Amino acid sequence: MIKILIVEDDEPIANLIRMNLVKAGYQCETAMDGEEAADKIEAGSFDLILLDIMLPKLNGYEVLEYARAVNIPVIFLSAMGEVQQKVKGLKLGAEDYITKPFEIAELLARVETVLRRYQKTERKLQLLNIEIDTDSHTVLQDGRTVELTNKEYDLLLLFFRNKNRALYRETIYESVWGGEYSGTGRTVDLHVQRLKKKLGLEEHIVAIYKVGYRLVV
Amino acid sequence: MKLSWKLFFITTPIFILFLTVFGSWMLQESFQESLNQEVERCMVENQMFQNSYELTFHSLSEQQREQTSVQRVVESFYKKQKNGGNARIYSLRGEVLYQQNSLQVANRIREALDEENNVGYEIVRQQDHVYVVVLARSSFDVFVETIRNITAVFENRTAMYFRYRTAALAVTILTGGLILLVLFLVMRNMEKLSSATRQFAMGQYDTRVVIRSSDEIGRLAEDFNWMADAMKVQMERLEGEARRQEEFTAAFAHELKTPLTSIIGYADTIRQMELTQEETDMCADYIYRQGKRLQSLSYKLLDMTMTDRRDFDYRPLSAPEFLEEIEKTVRKALEEKQLVLELQAEKGMIYGDQELLSSVFINLIDNARKASAPGGIIRVTGAAAPGGYFIVVEDQGEGIPKEEVSKITEAFYMVDKSRSRKEGGAGLGLALCRKILELHGAGWKIESAVGKGTKVTVQFGVWENSGSRARRNRRERKRSR
Repeated sequence: MIKILIVEDDEPIANLIRMNLVKAGYQCETAMDGEEAADKIEAGSFDLILLDIMLPKLNGYEVLEYARAVNIPVIFLSAMGEVQQKVKGLKLGAEDYITKPFEIAELLARVETVLRRYQKTERKLQLLNIEIDTDSHTVLQDGRTVELTNKEYDLLLLFFRNKNRALYRETIYESVWGGEYSGTGRTVDLHVQRLKKKLGLEEHIVAIYKVGYRLVV
Repeated sequence: MKLSWKLFFITTPIFILFLTVFGSWMLQESFQESLNQEVERCMVENQMFQNSYELTFHSLSEQQREQTSVQRVVESFYKKQKNGGNARIYSLRGEVLYQQNSLQVANRIREALDEENNVGYEIVRQQDHVYVVVLARSSFDVFVETIRNITAVFENRTAMYFRYRTAALAVTILTGGLILLVLFLVMRNMEKLSSATRQFAMGQYDTRVVIRSSDEIGRLAEDFNWMADAMKVQMERLEGEARRQEEFTAAFAHELKTPLTSIIGYADTIRQMELTQEETDMCADYIYRQGKRLQSLSYKLLDMTMTDRRDFDYRPLSAPEFLEEIEKTVRKALEEKQLVLELQAEKGMIYGDQELLSSVFINLIDNARKASAPGGIIRVTGAAAPGGYFIVVEDQGEGIPKEEVSKITEAFYMVDKSRSRKEGGAGLGLALCRKILELHGAGWKIESAVGKGTKVTVQFGVWENSGSRARRNRRERKRSR
């Protein structure tokens, strides 16, 4: 299981991130200040660190040094949104920089991108009777290969990675097709219908009125 | 064209013109004088010669006059001179009766003479020489002529002209050079000033001019440096202000975004996830509490801007009554944390706006409350002293690290961010207190030791003075706005 360290001195935010990451299937630990973070980095092995910059005792930039020493990717999470700060954070070796306030979906997507870059995502995702092998881009249902188009594959992966989470049509469109969602097209709905039919997921992919779809497991 | 060249080309011709006109006039005058002298001398010679001749001739008898030649007569009183001049006697018909030497100078004086005007002179140029010729008609029916060579006078004039021209040229060159030198020195200083001004305008605010001169340009340079200093101070003040403003904005943005992150995040979670009732309640609770935090932040900010604007209600306050009033306000919050407030106040007056000053001490006591462990004691002491009235708020809490003490009055500064947020602070309290105390002309001192506690001493001036000082303060603030 993937272990993420959340370094955030504001308890409500720390709790918010942990809650969402745990629901997305990650294992989390939190540190409330720089020193605690450094101790935890040295003690345990993490796959990713979400790091605030303005921290008591040691600041985020200093904690970053500890993380880099053991080669753990870091995503900065800060209210300081100026370009210089972002550049500084990225130059010091952070993988990404998220400004507060942020959308949960964005946070999860960025976490996943970084993990994928470090090849720490699980190669095989399994839910229900379906298994996705992200290395070979194949989908097996009950051990048999199911032929999916590229878009359908991406769509399935998105549902798998956001199980039990309501996905807005615009979120789906933007992450699978890319680009701006016009709000009128039926593309998303058509592809979801086809995917449901191909994999027999009619009961699990639920349409949510006015929102989009959710994969219920 | 450069100013120095302009000045040079104006002054030099004027100088030359003046030299020429004045010099020519002087030389001409002096030449005329010597010429007149020579003529005069020649006249005198002529006169003397004539007198001697007439006297001698007069003394001769009629017979002697017949027998003796003019030559003889003259020789009897006149010895030859060597200086190139000549004396000659003509008969009325123009025959030469006597001549000293053979030097003949043609002249037309005789034609100009008549009965009344019996002496005349003429200046004649002849064979590279210049002569003055004087001719007089003697009463003994002869003409007496004297000649003087005055070539030297003319030569002298030419030589003088030459010398004068040489000298004038030399002086002109010398003065011209001097003028140019002075102009260039002055202009170099001007150039220095000008380039310094350009540099200054281009943002090099450290630029200063070094001109060691006590003239107007030196003074201008001093003024420039003075102005530059003043501008630099002003600029630094503005930069400092801008930086503080920037820091304030950054801190404010941070304080604003932190609760917003929670509010947006939890609301997003509720919206997107299927949560248990317990989880939903937790999210709602976070949203509510962070919303409250935003609210208190906005109130405090409002307070802070209000102190800039509102009109204050300054009046004398009885210190013990004032402090008792505060004790009533904070009592409940202190009891919740099982803290004891020990209040001791001597009789005395302070001067100020009760509402604002209350918020200062409520804030200080609240800080003490946050820093204290349950069961602790907070001591508030009021003491009258010759210098005014002192109010001390003292706790036995965890104290402030030494290096942080100077920063704690900055807006949004928190020594221990996570703790003070838990206690509901936004980091604005002490910045607000400082502002209010400044308005009242009151001073304060913060002493603290980690683990031992913090002691804040607020000093009010003697109340009459303090009042007028506060009023004056306000007036000054208004004026500066």
